[in-house]
Amino acid sequence: MVQSVSGGTGSGQPANSNKAKPRVLPSRRRARRAWAALGIVIVAIGFLLYKGLGNSLVYFRTAAGAVQDRAQLGNKTFRLEGVVVPGSIHTTGTGVDFSVESSNVFVQVHDIANPPQLFQPNIPVVLVGHFQQNIFLSNQIMVKHSASYVAAHPDRVATVNGKKL
Amino acid sequence: MGSKRYQRLRRAMGIVSVLLVAVTVVLGLWVTPPDVVQGQLVRLIYVHPPMAWVAYLAYGVTSLASVLYLWRRTRNLRWDLLAASSAEVGVIFTGLTLITGSIWGRPAWGVWWTWDARLTTTALLFVLYIGYLALRRIPADSHQRAVRSAIAGLIAFIDVPIVHQSVVWWRTLHQGATVLNPSLSPRIHGEMASTLLLGFIAFTFVYVWMLLHRYQIAALEQNVLDAELEKLIQERRNEPGLGSSQIESSGDANNVGQPSKV
Repeated sequence: MVQSVSGGTGSGQPANSNKAKPRVLPSRRRARRAWAALGIVIVAIGFLLYKGLGNSLVYFRTAAGAVQDRAQLGNKTFRLEGVVVPGSIHTTGTGVDFSVESSNVFVQVHDIANPPQLFQPNIPVVLVGHFQQNIFLSNQIMVKHSASYVAAHPDRVATVNGKKL
Repeated sequence: MGSKRYQRLRRAMGIVSVLLVAVTVVLGLWVTPPDVVQGQLVRLIYVHPPMAWVAYLAYGVTSLASVLYLWRRTRNLRWDLLAASSAEVGVIFTGLTLITGSIWGRPAWGVWWTWDARLTTTALLFVLYIGYLALRRIPADSHQRAVRSAIAGLIAFIDVPIVHQSVVWWRTLHQGATVLNPSLSPRIHGEMASTLLLGFIAFTFVYVWMLLHRYQIAALEQNVLDAELEKLIQERRNEPGLGSSQIESSGDANNVGQPSKV
């Protein structure tokens, strides 16, 4: 609003009428910057919607679902989810071999990446990779931990100095 | 607004906020137990969800203030300034939510970022409200800016429930809600739960404190703009050969005739 007034005094006016000029950017320049910023935001929204629609709607397939759609999936890369089967973890030279389970369907996994620090038996994981025959070749393991928070030592007692064990 | 009482309130809010955050940090880092699965990583829970909550709250206030501006009976430029101030604080907390989530995600999940529904919709929320703030920068008179910002703010708010429900509606890597889950049964150990609750209260105080400051700055900026406008009108009125009727007909009636009072 100020810009429209100060913009009007910009040309052909006496010098003393330009007092307010340094305080605001010329309105056209300011508008151009604002429109450019808005344009960038719109492009960013478009990018996020594109990525969201492409990845988020079916973020992963469960092991049971993937086995059911095995023929349709072929060698396509996708995310597979399942719970790490206890006793199935074997460290290899390049990564780790293990099995995942969902709805009593088991899938054998050969992973070639370092597992994250929370990787352990009985934890849900999301794996990125593809089927090769009946083995799922994974190049990324993501741990999907639960929303429950349980104290590691729920029956902690205070020691003499007040600290808990 | 600039009264001593208001200043005292702001200062008190600041002191209480700092104290509450300090107590949350001490409890979160040293008193609460590690988690049976996540170990020490769980300590980020005392800041990450409270920051997300503050972002929701801030955008809720922006929406409420936007509705109050759009409704003719309650229309006042104060609501527009409150909406903008709250959105700015919300954007800061959304950014912090994304950063703390990423810091937590790297060791817990194994990745800094993934395109699951929770993360994508949160990033979208961040960009939407940056867009809201960018829209406010487009030159316009106060009323026009307030109306279009209010509409944009309300449209952007649609994403807030989508963000919250994303872990229910879609398969995500992000875990579901711990406290506000569909069965409304918190699944968290007692000391952890009380510290988390304290975190929510502490960051809510921080939000109110930041909002009070940002709103005052916004109001002062508006007053300066109004004063400048008045001055420029007066200067033109004093120019020889220019009558007041010519000035009023050449400018924006909303601004020239009625400088906004904040």
